[in-house]
Amino acid sequence: MNWKKTFAVARREYVERVRTRAFWIATLLIPILFLGYVAVQISISRKTGGERQLVVVDLTGKLYQPLVQELAETEAKQKEKGSSSRGPHWSLTQQAPAADLAAQKEALRKEVLQKKINGYLILEPAKLDKDEVEYYSTTVSDYIAQSQLQSAIGRIWMRQKMTARGLPADLARELETRIDLKAFKVTEKGTAEEKGAGIIAALVLLILMYSTFFMYGYQVMRGTIEEKSNRIVEIIVASVRPTELMVGKILGIGLVGLTQYFVWSLVAANLSLPAFASLLSSSDMGMPRVPVSLLGYFMLFFLLGYFLYASVYTMIAAPFNTDQEAQQLAMIPMVLIVGGIAVYPGVMNNPTGGMALFFSLFPFTASLIMFLRTAVSEPPVWQILLCVAILLGTTAALAWFAGRIYRVGILMYGKKPTIPEIIRWARYSPGKVTQPAVKPS
Amino acid sequence: MDTAISLTGVSKAFGKFRAVDNLTLSVPRGAMFGLLGPNGAGKTTTIRMIMNITAPDSGDIQILGHPMDRRTQNRIGYLPEERGLYRKMKVIDHLYFLAAIKEVGRDEARRRIDDWLDKMELRPWLNKKVDELSKGMQQKIQFIATIVHDPDILILDEPFSGLDPINVALMRDFFVEFRQRGKTIVFCTHVLEQAEKLCDEICLMARSRKILEGSMKELKRRYSQDLLRISVDASLADVQGLPGVASAKALNGTFVVGLTPGADRREFLRRALERYRIDAFSQKEPELEEIYIDAVKSAGIEDRVIE
Repeated sequence: MNWKKTFAVARREYVERVRTRAFWIATLLIPILFLGYVAVQISISRKTGGERQLVVVDLTGKLYQPLVQELAETEAKQKEKGSSSRGPHWSLTQQAPAADLAAQKEALRKEVLQKKINGYLILEPAKLDKDEVEYYSTTVSDYIAQSQLQSAIGRIWMRQKMTARGLPADLARELETRIDLKAFKVTEKGTAEEKGAGIIAALVLLILMYSTFFMYGYQVMRGTIEEKSNRIVEIIVASVRPTELMVGKILGIGLVGLTQYFVWSLVAANLSLPAFASLLSSSDMGMPRVPVSLLGYFMLFFLLGYFLYASVYTMIAAPFNTDQEAQQLAMIPMVLIVGGIAVYPGVMNNPTGGMALFFSLFPFTASLIMFLRTAVSEPPVWQILLCVAILLGTTAALAWFAGRIYRVGILMYGKKPTIPEIIRWARYSPGKVTQPAVKPS
Repeated sequence: MDTAISLTGVSKAFGKFRAVDNLTLSVPRGAMFGLLGPNGAGKTTTIRMIMNITAPDSGDIQILGHPMDRRTQNRIGYLPEERGLYRKMKVIDHLYFLAAIKEVGRDEARRRIDDWLDKMELRPWLNKKVDELSKGMQQKIQFIATIVHDPDILILDEPFSGLDPINVALMRDFFVEFRQRGKTIVFCTHVLEQAEKLCDEICLMARSRKILEGSMKELKRRYSQDLLRISVDASLADVQGLPGVASAKALNGTFVVGLTPGADRREFLRRALERYRIDAFSQKEPELEEIYIDAVKSAGIEDRVIE
């Protein structure tokens, strides 16, 4: 390896990319778009705190009043606590059950569609015996509102069952317990209450890492193909070994990625963060605490993952002359990267389990999943070290293989090669690089 | 040390296809060396092996007395047949980049690039993107890239392809000047007329093998001994009927006669004079093409006709 030449290649890749208008547009636009997205999300979630018009058809005849009362109490308690999951303000109206329940439901359905009411609730004794209640609304994915309704009815129904069995009403109320689960993250440095913002920050970084694998991996592929279609590659390899060209390109583009992160973090610190913070604090989630160690892990696993995928993308690009030809094989790293994202909810649920361990050591998902694990739990040091070793080892093997294909592939023009042909290339004898007898001054 | 490049028993196969078969050749220092042959003869593979872009399967390659290493690589200028540039780069940045990968220092590069920009009349395009340049100007930039590190050896693969006559002349002048400074040029082409005008040493390749090597003068002398041009009042059949004639063809009212090897020229003349009136008689200087075709035939290699 001649590092002087490698750095000359890396420098060109870096300077030419950072100079483009497209780079700066992407670099400045993405945080703005992202901030906009978060702002919209938060304002939507706050809207659920608005009023809900609900019609209740109580066929039992004894649940409506307690429900109104129960929901009012819940709201009062939440206000007092300043809880993060603040539900809507319920405004209930009772409608006497009609003889034809189906017709009544249909009429209510129309009212919902005409937006006169937000929804309606049917309380039927037969269904309640099976612990069921029917709730109709245009939005049934409104988690907070639904769980409030569910637990309120549940409590009332339980209370009434107990009094029906002869328990005094006040005793029934006393027996009823509501548990508020407070989550604390246990780390070696102590315990801290986790309000969700830390996890959101980790997820944001995870998505960022995931999308930059794509972006920069794809750029490595495009750059390699471009050199071939430009027919410049042979001029370059007359001065630079193919390996040096490959490594220089990967380093240069990786550095572009780091620059983009750096600008993003500057933008975040100076522009978005204050705005972000005011939005978050008003939504009661609290400020995200992003520990320095998390950012350190982010850099580490971004670089390891990037080098791994960049090698894969180089391997894919080298045999082909156009993006279209490479497209088919480009599916492979894409599926692998998406795979890492696809398994993350499972890992979130049990970050110390077997599945989490497997995917954090499987080389193609390791960078994303191990980063996530360091964010939501504290994996043992040996696992982190093993993960880094696996990533480095796999990257070295891939880079070696990619280098061999690259060496042959970049000089191949014309017919699109088949996969067996590409594998055969790797077996061609490599170019030997002899050390200079005298060190050049 | 009077050998610039020497190859000994070099072979290279791509799968079952033998691209270069047991090639041995030596390029003397200071020569204008022509590596000639039709497309697919193995010229480009040979050059790529010299440049250490592709590795030989067997055999030995020495450049300026050493195997190729980083230092020798920086002493060679190579203009490949497949050549292009980064289209989005500015001309000046591109030239600096190409100098940097030859490890030319920034100051040295500035001086040389400055010099060449004037020689090539490219200065007005300094800050333009390569994209905006004409094909001819792009080729000038590629040429500057080949020589910006002032190499001792120039290897040019089809350097004139796609050039207009003015630029061909310009390039040729540079090559001649380069050579006068004692540098070696390896000139690789399938266009034999170009090689004939420029080269003083040649190696002919066909079907992956060397079929002829030597100095142009020597080769011409060797082949001309058997080649005569006569102007005679006889038919082609008559000429063919003369003793010692291996081949004869009509050319502009004269005949070009090839004698069988070892045939006595005086004997042939005497017999011709006995039968016909001879208006003119001369020894014909063979065209490179004729030498080539003859060599291919005698090597027993059937080959495509050269363009």
